[in-house]
Amino acid sequence: MSNALNKKRNFIERSILSALAFLKDATLSEEYANRKGFLQSLDPRLKTVSFLAFLVTAISLKSAVLIGSLYGFCFILAIFSRIPVRHFLIRTLLFIPLFSLFMVLPTLFSIVTPGEPVCSFHVLGLNGIITRPGLDGAVLFVVRIATSVSLVVLLSLTTRHSELLKVLRVLGVPQLFVLTVSMCFRYLYLFATMVENIFTAIKSRVGVVSHHRHGQNVVAWNLANTWNRTTQMSEEVYMAMLSRGYTGEPRLLKVFHATLKDWVWLCCAVIICAGLFYRGQIL
Amino acid sequence: MHIPDGYLSPATCGVFGAVMIPIWTAASKAVRKTLSVRQVPYLAIGAAFSFVIMMFNVPIPGGSTGHAVGGVLVAILIGPWAACIAVTVALVIQALLFGDGGITAIGANCFNMAFVLPFVGYYVYKLISLNSPAGSNRRIIAAGAGAYAGISLAALCAGIEFGLQPLLYHKANGQALYSPYGLNVAVPAMVLGHLLVFGWVEVIVTALVVKYLQKQNSVFFEGGRS
Repeated sequence: MSNALNKKRNFIERSILSALAFLKDATLSEEYANRKGFLQSLDPRLKTVSFLAFLVTAISLKSAVLIGSLYGFCFILAIFSRIPVRHFLIRTLLFIPLFSLFMVLPTLFSIVTPGEPVCSFHVLGLNGIITRPGLDGAVLFVVRIATSVSLVVLLSLTTRHSELLKVLRVLGVPQLFVLTVSMCFRYLYLFATMVENIFTAIKSRVGVVSHHRHGQNVVAWNLANTWNRTTQMSEEVYMAMLSRGYTGEPRLLKVFHATLKDWVWLCCAVIICAGLFYRGQIL
Repeated sequence: MHIPDGYLSPATCGVFGAVMIPIWTAASKAVRKTLSVRQVPYLAIGAAFSFVIMMFNVPIPGGSTGHAVGGVLVAILIGPWAACIAVTVALVIQALLFGDGGITAIGANCFNMAFVLPFVGYYVYKLISLNSPAGSNRRIIAAGAGAYAGISLAALCAGIEFGLQPLLYHKANGQALYSPYGLNVAVPAMVLGHLLVFGWVEVIVTALVVKYLQKQNSVFFEGGRS
């Protein structure tokens, strides 16, 4: 098949891949969250609070070395939590940090960030001068992004998604909002499967969509159809909620219990954050 | 347009979080007034829909694909306040469960995509469509124009947020601490990208979905929710 045809039908395959990627991510996260590791054994509330503290520390510090040490700490936590190293590195170093690295590359040079030169080179008749503030700024930026991403990834991989959403309520997020988030999350699986089915059906029946305008119509038609199905579904969902005893006040089925280990972990997290802030002040 | 953690300073994140609190409160009150308990699943499913829109890849000229954000489409379908909550919910799930978009930047992301995007888009749609019939072409054009205006202004806001970082947060030697490009680079980079490419994907998706919904189920445009 020609490249042109491959390109033209890509939107069908990419849509299937988007839906499958969502389902794969969600399933894999649940699998890791159910493993018997260190972070999985912690109370979701205190774990979330401690990770938020780490996150605020990571975006507040101004030293790449200190933020990098926090990334190293995440790496150790990932190992003790039985998260495969390869998966952790791919999730935390590719995508956002790699995009950030490419984005920040021009700031290395004196033309964008003037300052003390670190090295210079000559390519195709052009002089490139990398400056100290440019290099330090770029390293700090990328390390900060990688560390922030690793903290969020670690939290989401080691906590069951349903529990993570319930933690929102414990943290004081209004009930209407938490209820909406929890219900929305459940329907995402259904919708992702729906998207996969729609585009698999298009692929099996149509195969190749010859023109991008036709493809746009196909996508819009199916989006409109998905919306119609969702509105019909909301009525059925409400009836199902009523039949299960819903009175307008949602209840948390699982009650969290914090143990001494959880409080010790929280104290350690606070001490680590305070220590990093203190080192950051004197560096 | 999702701003990850680390691109904005803690102070900027705090300011946008603080700005969003009264908006979320107002949205909750408005939604409680207009939507009954019966319609909580409607809101949740609307939020899931706004998440799922991003899974639909749209073919664009040249053989590539893009995806729409869908904030304006959701605002046209369920109203701007409900869309504000729906898009916020989608952003929270993306940030918290899938690491896409920042947790600390959730205020800024919600300001751009759950407030500016649906509200600007919705009111441009209302302004152009006025009292035109539910099945008129004018509503399709209005939806497209709303989507274009909404996403372009949201991109402008994101560009300003990025561009302010090196001006406000840098070391004495000029080293940027957060997003490194000033307003002169960040604003054109964000706005031009959306005016020339991503905005058109949003226009196509929003206008075509409105067109098909007019044919399939025009009740959405008959003065009720939209």
